[in-house]
Amino acid sequence: MIEVEGLRKQFGDLAAVDDVSFMARPGRIFGLLGPNGAGKSTTINCIAGLLKPSRGRVRVLGHDVVTDGPASRRQLGVVPQELALYEDLSARENLAFWGGAYGLGGVLLRSRVDAVLELIGLADRAREPVKNYSGGMKRRLNFGCGLVHEPQVLLLDEPTVGVDPQSRVRLLDLVREQAGAGVCVLYTTHYMEEAEHLCEELAIIDHGCIIAHGTMLELRAMMGERDLVRLTGEFDPAAAGAALGELPGVELVQVETAGLTLAVPEASARLSEIFQALAGAGAQIRGTTLTEPNLESLFIKLTGKELRE
Amino acid sequence: MRFLWSTTLKDLRRHRRSPAEFLVWLGVPLLIGSLIILASGGRSGPAPQALVWVADHDDSFVSNFLLTALGQGGHGNPVRSELVSEEEGRSRLGHGKGSALLIIPAGFGEAVLRERPATLQLLTNPAQRILPGIVEEELSVLVDAGFYLHRLFGDELRAMAAGPPAGRHVFDDAFVAALSVRINRLVDRLAGSLSPPLIQLRVEAVEQESEFDFASFALGFLPGILFMGLLFMAQGLGDELWHERQQQTLRRVVASPRSVHVFLAGKLLAGVLMMACMSLVGLCAGYWYFGLPAWTLPLAGAWTICTGILFMTGMTALQVHAASQRAGNILTMVLIFPLMMIGGSFFPFEAMPAWMATVGKLTPNGWALRRLRSILEGNVDLPVVALGFMLLLGLSLVLFLVSARRVRRAFVQG
Repeated sequence: MIEVEGLRKQFGDLAAVDDVSFMARPGRIFGLLGPNGAGKSTTINCIAGLLKPSRGRVRVLGHDVVTDGPASRRQLGVVPQELALYEDLSARENLAFWGGAYGLGGVLLRSRVDAVLELIGLADRAREPVKNYSGGMKRRLNFGCGLVHEPQVLLLDEPTVGVDPQSRVRLLDLVREQAGAGVCVLYTTHYMEEAEHLCEELAIIDHGCIIAHGTMLELRAMMGERDLVRLTGEFDPAAAGAALGELPGVELVQVETAGLTLAVPEASARLSEIFQALAGAGAQIRGTTLTEPNLESLFIKLTGKELRE
Repeated sequence: MRFLWSTTLKDLRRHRRSPAEFLVWLGVPLLIGSLIILASGGRSGPAPQALVWVADHDDSFVSNFLLTALGQGGHGNPVRSELVSEEEGRSRLGHGKGSALLIIPAGFGEAVLRERPATLQLLTNPAQRILPGIVEEELSVLVDAGFYLHRLFGDELRAMAAGPPAGRHVFDDAFVAALSVRINRLVDRLAGSLSPPLIQLRVEAVEQESEFDFASFALGFLPGILFMGLLFMAQGLGDELWHERQQQTLRRVVASPRSVHVFLAGKLLAGVLMMACMSLVGLCAGYWYFGLPAWTLPLAGAWTICTGILFMTGMTALQVHAASQRAGNILTMVLIFPLMMIGGSFFPFEAMPAWMATVGKLTPNGWALRRLRSILEGNVDLPVVALGFMLLLGLSLVLFLVSARRVRRAFVQG
């Protein structure tokens, strides 16, 4: 279990993470979703003991990461965003070294290395230097190095970045298997589809703060089953706002001279009504995008910008 | 303990798969050392010879005799003379050619025969240190010979200087005969002392008390070349932490329950084992070639390895405090090359100017190098050596702790 309470990490004047709180439970995948630079990796680094929190408390399996660091890290498996491997060693030698770093040795270490090699599908190339591997194989090995000591808590920092579709599916299956085996998984990503399909519980983070938190059902409920309509063209913000305000159930999320965003129940049936109202307000519409309720639309609703911006 | 050893094995495996590094660490010092020994003449090749330009304004029997005496003995003589005009001699010496210019003034011959004051002018080449001194010495011997010649044949020489009687171009037969008889009698009187000499010189080759000849030029370079190799290795191994950081493995170690100190100690141990291999191979080769006393080998090996530890912890401390890998490499390179230059790796202290040797002996590698030379010579003062070991290891420990603290707190974050 991971407990994060009021976490703040400051670099000079910049608060990379501010007042972040959540709890990740065993056997579940907790997602931390946010754009690049939102504070996901800083949060992970504080949990892994790589950064010392400026304020707040982080506990892993009940052990405080600051006051009881070694104990908190003993059952922690970390899969960093960048590959953390010795490229001139083989997969077997890498796994053996990282297993040794967590206290494994002898027969137990050898059996765990064999098991992980099977799990990540590299048993047949286990003796080759890692530098000969493809990007996807390296990613799987990077993942395997975090599993070799059978951790009870797994921190995965964007493990699928730059991975081919096949390896991505394989990696996500591995993550599910770990959660199925009772491991507490904290998974950070900026791919909303990945988070939506993988995570049972999510926190959306932006500019170092959690802006939404809950299960997938709870987060969808925040959208109120409303579609998101994005219109591009030329708009008079005041006139457009006034015209749309008269339409029942239409919520203006964001308005600019070059585009506006609306949250509308069953938007496809109401597009002509919206276009008429905007035409009356002097708007010129050039493009329309309709999005069904999902994490991306929730993020846009909460922040007024797309997740990938 | 297990993690320390697995870190050591990991590093040894990685270095074994990059043999180019070893070639650089071992090859560069060997190449530099060999070039320096060859450039310095080593122990082979022709003996150096001083070339003296002679400007003879006198052109007399005496000046010709001096010229011949100065260059006598052919190739075995350390001095060779060549007749030139004064202007040309000055020009050649000004361009750094030759060891000295000897100017014989007009009237020199007559002054010598009449035992009057005369001045020979010797201009020496300031770019050479030893050969002009040899010329000066040899010229002094010849001047002294002139003095003693006068003590023996003064009257005869003065009579010759007076020249033939007025109106004659040559000495008359009676004068030549009388002069010859006087010289013959004088030589006969001295023969008892000169042939055979009253003082007999017995030449005997004496075995040196020491079992080896440490004055050997190449042996003087052995510790320096070893330390040069150690410094290069230490520089390369210190740079290793940057690779660990770049490939994110250092972060993974810090995120593990193991202490960074153990990880660094494992890396240090791998480095020490590699340094030990290199040092022992070099020392064993040196002991065999120069016939050094074998009982000092373990002590010399231990001293070299401990010095290597100090170099490695020092280089690591510098690297982890640098702002970037590039800055770290520049910093360490800027430090090790002057250290090698004045610390006795490039040139033995004996070949340095006094002030430079004094400074060089105070550098860490210079200090350690002198201790190693003492051990190789068999001059082992155990309390002094024990104190030296404590100093080396104590300083290494401090540098290690400083590095580990830096790695844990700041270096790993990037």
